[in-house]
Amino acid sequence: MGALGHFLEREGIATTGISLVREHTETVRPPRALWVTFELGRPLGLPDDPPFQRRVVKAALDLLGRTDGPLIADYPEHVMEEADFTGWACPTSFAPMQIDSLAAEIDRLATWHDRAVAARGRKTVGVSGLDMPSAGALVDGALAGDLPPAQVLKEAIDDLKAYYLEAAAAFPDAGSARMRKEWFWSETRLSAALLALQPKLAASSDPQHKILGNLTLIPATERYRLANGR
Amino acid sequence: MVKRLDDMPEVEANHLRRIECPIYEDTPLLDGSPLAERRVAIISTAGLHRRGDRPFRPGDGSYRVIPAETPARELVMSHISGNFDRTGFQRDSNVVLPIDRLRELVADGVVGSMASVHYSFMGAFPPDAAKPHAQHLAGLLKADKVDAALLVPV
Repeated sequence: MGALGHFLEREGIATTGISLVREHTETVRPPRALWVTFELGRPLGLPDDPPFQRRVVKAALDLLGRTDGPLIADYPEHVMEEADFTGWACPTSFAPMQIDSLAAEIDRLATWHDRAVAARGRKTVGVSGLDMPSAGALVDGALAGDLPPAQVLKEAIDDLKAYYLEAAAAFPDAGSARMRKEWFWSETRLSAALLALQPKLAASSDPQHKILGNLTLIPATERYRLANGR
Repeated sequence: MVKRLDDMPEVEANHLRRIECPIYEDTPLLDGSPLAERRVAIISTAGLHRRGDRPFRPGDGSYRVIPAETPARELVMSHISGNFDRTGFQRDSNVVLPIDRLRELVADGVVGSMASVHYSFMGAFPPDAAKPHAQHLAGLLKADKVDAALLVPV
């Protein structure tokens, strides 16, 4: 991110930016950065909170008036972790042992995904161009040894992950985003498939498959959590 | 709340420590108009694009075009990293690409005007792969009379 500040400022466009990882910004030294303590993936801090987001944007833009950089300003507001509901459990059972196939799990989530789309007015599924049953079939095929090109598989999995987490947000008692991610990685047949697929991709002779297996498929935190039984 | 890498879970911090950051000998710094006279574009590195546009690929240093009037329901994300939260974006695209917030600041007279087009890269790019695209992008921004960019990571 900081590299873009160098490139654009040198070409005559003044830049300011948000920094999520202060150590990276301290190394790259872009012209102006507003360091925030928000979760990676949420540079404006809080979804569905326009006044909060507006304050962050304004604070970053205000730095454009300064020419004493490279500078890093600390944003004073922080976001606490979403409240957890003690004892929360997914209200609809999708435990792998109770569903006979990935296809059935995908099918059972469809009504929840429809609800999520109706509530939000949008979805973020749609990178691969596949419908969800076809994306699931691609994952099943890969597990059976028929590895499609890495990019095709990656886009299908991106869509499936978005589909599951968007659907889970529409459950009657949806819990926090963190809990839904834990549900996804601990309880779904899709995550079991991805975890089983990971070593196959990592062992492939295709470097793109290796990237998918080692970098993209499973978040580092989940690999660690699952490996340590947490 | 995330503070410094040393405060993060070790596995996440180690992943971030392994990312190679470019080092520059000096930093250019432009002076310019007051914010209320600036025309601002948002440049994201979240791997965002309109549904149907080319998804990002590993090592991809190019950008995708996001016209300011793009409805949120058209936006998807194809970043190659799985190591950041996407549920915030699923709830509200402005938590990643604050087009509506910038539009409000323009309406309030805080910012002069908003670019007609915004852009997204995918942040995992090698800097050398992005440099020619960024230089080209600077020309496009100037053609749109943009004189300031808000860089938003993910």
